[in-house]
Amino acid sequence: MSAAPLLEIDGLVVKYGPAVAVDGVALSLERGERVALIGPNGAGKSSLLNGVCGLVKPASGRVLLDGRDLTGRAPGEIVRAGLTQVPEGRQVFPTLPVEANLLLGAYGREFRHELVTATLRYIGRRSEISTRLERVYSLMPKLHELRERPAGRTSGGEQQMVAIGRALMAETRLLAIDELSLGLAPLVVQDLSEFLLRLNEDEGVALLLVEQNAVLALELCSRAYVLEAGRLVLAGPSNELERNETVRSAYLGGGLDVAEAEPDTPTEPSS
Amino acid sequence: MSLASRLPARARLAGTLAAGGFAIWLSYQLSPGDRSLYTLMGLYAIVAIGLSLLIGFAGQISLGQGAFYALGAYTAGILTVGLDPDDRLVNPEAGIDPALALVAAPLLTGLVAAVIGVPLLRLRGHYLAFATLALHLILLAAIFAQSGFTGGQDPGLAVIEPLEVFGWQITGVTGGTARHTAIVWGLVLVTLLVALNLVGSRAGRALQAIATSERTAAAAGINVSAYKLRLFVLSAGLAGLAGALYAFMLQFLSPDAFGVFLSIQFVVMVAVGGLGSVYGAVAGAVAITWLEHELRELGTRPSLLGFELPDQAPQVFSVGVFAVILIVVILFFPRGLFPALGDGIRRLRSVRQEN
Amino acid sequence: MREFLQLVVVGVSTGSAYALVGIGMVLIFRTTGIVNFAQGSFAVLGGLFMVELVDDMHGMLAGFVAVLVVGFIGSLVGFVAVGFRHRTTPLASLIITLGIALLIASLNLLAFGDRPHTYPTIFDRAWDIGGVLVQPQYVLVAGVTLLAALLLTLGLQRTIAGQALVACADSRRAAELVGIDVRAVAVVAFAVSAGLSALGWVLLTPVDPVNYDSDVRIAINGFAAAAFGGLASIRLAYLGGLVLGIAQQLVVGYADQIPGLGQQARQYELAAALVIMLVLIGWRARHEVHE
Repeated sequence: MSAAPLLEIDGLVVKYGPAVAVDGVALSLERGERVALIGPNGAGKSSLLNGVCGLVKPASGRVLLDGRDLTGRAPGEIVRAGLTQVPEGRQVFPTLPVEANLLLGAYGREFRHELVTATLRYIGRRSEISTRLERVYSLMPKLHELRERPAGRTSGGEQQMVAIGRALMAETRLLAIDELSLGLAPLVVQDLSEFLLRLNEDEGVALLLVEQNAVLALELCSRAYVLEAGRLVLAGPSNELERNETVRSAYLGGGLDVAEAEPDTPTEPSS
Repeated sequence: MSLASRLPARARLAGTLAAGGFAIWLSYQLSPGDRSLYTLMGLYAIVAIGLSLLIGFAGQISLGQGAFYALGAYTAGILTVGLDPDDRLVNPEAGIDPALALVAAPLLTGLVAAVIGVPLLRLRGHYLAFATLALHLILLAAIFAQSGFTGGQDPGLAVIEPLEVFGWQITGVTGGTARHTAIVWGLVLVTLLVALNLVGSRAGRALQAIATSERTAAAAGINVSAYKLRLFVLSAGLAGLAGALYAFMLQFLSPDAFGVFLSIQFVVMVAVGGLGSVYGAVAGAVAITWLEHELRELGTRPSLLGFELPDQAPQVFSVGVFAVILIVVILFFPRGLFPALGDGIRRLRSVRQEN
Repeated sequence: MREFLQLVVVGVSTGSAYALVGIGMVLIFRTTGIVNFAQGSFAVLGGLFMVELVDDMHGMLAGFVAVLVVGFIGSLVGFVAVGFRHRTTPLASLIITLGIALLIASLNLLAFGDRPHTYPTIFDRAWDIGGVLVQPQYVLVAGVTLLAALLLTLGLQRTIAGQALVACADSRRAAELVGIDVRAVAVVAFAVSAGLSALGWVLLTPVDPVNYDSDVRIAINGFAAAAFGGLASIRLAYLGGLVLGIAQQLVVGYADQIPGLGQQARQYELAAALVIMLVLIGWRARHEVHE
């Protein structure tokens, strides 16, 4: 493992007009890691992601991918550098069939401000892209089944798969997922998490999970950051955060999986 | 509402009155040549204020204000010379008192707007834009077609009767007088004050709500269609009034003067002046009228910068260069020149404060 | 009956030319959210260039060149209309396209003067189809435009570039995230739309001469066709164009039978067209979902 982290964010500030959504956040992510970003609604998690992925231009701060400064660059450049976002609500292309959705993931990667050359490049790489498509289908056989169906006519969980598949077609090294669990049944979320875990361990794709569902996030990821009102308030390994008093009461209390109290911390109240 | 809204209400009122007074005074100072351009600026300012309210506050884009302007002009003209085309030639007493025609024109225009507004205002955004554009063309076609009644293109409608109100001569035998110009600018002032009052009132707030989101406004209990219609009628009436005053000044009407370009110009005046700013509308009207005039003058020269200009030059110049300037301005100042100016001054002031 | 069929044939022909203009508007609107007022200008340019070129080269080549040149002009227009990222609002773009339409009209006036332009049709006589006299030019227009519309639909569904256009129409944000440069796609949408509009009048000019100011009525009619499909459906825009064309021809054709209008009927031709257009827009807009 090389020294520089895969993703490094430094003092990032994202503003919408006068309103500050992200107030000087710093975080990092190593190659092949699974990191979560949790926090309440409106904490600025999505804004942070938008600022990193090029949808919004940060007011200040730096975003480094593999040592390369990508702050404020267009989304296309960032995708080409290996960071792809799976946005909140999936955002597939509803009228296009699933396979077209996937292929567009590869197509987008060839885009450099101009359509004709992008198309030529895409056509030139056709066989390579076909191979990649086969790989994605082997990872997600359900998508192969659905390949002719318009993406808008698939279920929420399937759309999530399409969005992830699309990102994989862009040869992403870091997959940033915004609200994976939103609007999906728990069983579906479970399947998706398992899939993402395998993707990370077998394919080496790093994960940045932005999640309101802290339980899910901490279970899937080895490390987490807690964001509140645009600022990082806590950071550390997931199992430590799971035992953290504030985290438990704010984000884990009363939920399904509540972490057991450690025997050598007698002051911890029983859950 | 950039620069102006930052001043306290009383200062704003005082400033507006002072500016209005100056504008009226200026009517008497200009030579007849300059004065007719100045009057036109005033007439267009009245139309622009109405349109600014419609676009800025009710969110309705009308590309048909030129039609209401034409309607007002022709209504005033035809009422003055007499409704029966045959009668006009033989009977000099045909038609009603010009002063009455002047009052009738905006009222009739408003009525027409009320009638067509009901179905029309169900349309939104670009649908409304195209529909109003189509209406303008339909009106022009009607004027051409009914040439017996309207005079059509040739010979046109001659409205030579002078306008007199309570013995006070406003337009003379040769058309506009300084008094006419003064009255026009007086009306600009009045319209401005009425508009500002409207904006600050409860009705104004309702209109702002409608401009932001019609659904939310409706949910809040605001009768959206009634407000839109009223504003549509008001802006049409203002355009009709301006048209009528124009008829008495020019004393000759033909469809040439009321082409589609006029409707587009009104929208440009508002867009350049600043959407939602009534002061901006006046400033935009003055600027665009002046620009158009200058460009047309430039085009009448036989040669420019060594290039020989063809016969169509005046039109090509005024429209073509106008279009280029419009594109450049909107690209760099999409919210209008005057809000941008306000921002610039604000930035200067904050920089100075920092030092 | 014969007269009725003749009117229908003319209506289908002019209607399909309007349909192409409308389809172009839909394409641009769906990919960029901009309503292109200059759409009529592209049609006029197509006609005018064709008139200029057809003297010097073979008809089909002239048409081909005219469409390509206008397509290129369309891409430039698109580039300007899209404006600056984050800065140019849809309303600003609308005004920009209005300005561009004005500019093109004034340049056309300068270059071609103020008179209708046309070129002679390549067919020397009308065809007799079952007793109905049909001008072959009309058939040509209808046929080629249908082919063009079909090719476009196929291209959008089957080619990756076409799918990229559809993607931008479906979700601009997602397209951006995937790396597609939405503004580059917009330029292409403008170019294709311009080419389509030009094609319509490259073919229609022999029976519908163009002047420098024809762009306004063409744009309005094209918009009406597009509005038939709610500015969203290419198929419905095509249908709308046909309905519009046929309805206009029928009204004009039978107008002299309406008591009271008499000689004035011809002069109301444009007005009738516009009224029908308004009815179409009004009917369609009622089905729009209010935001």
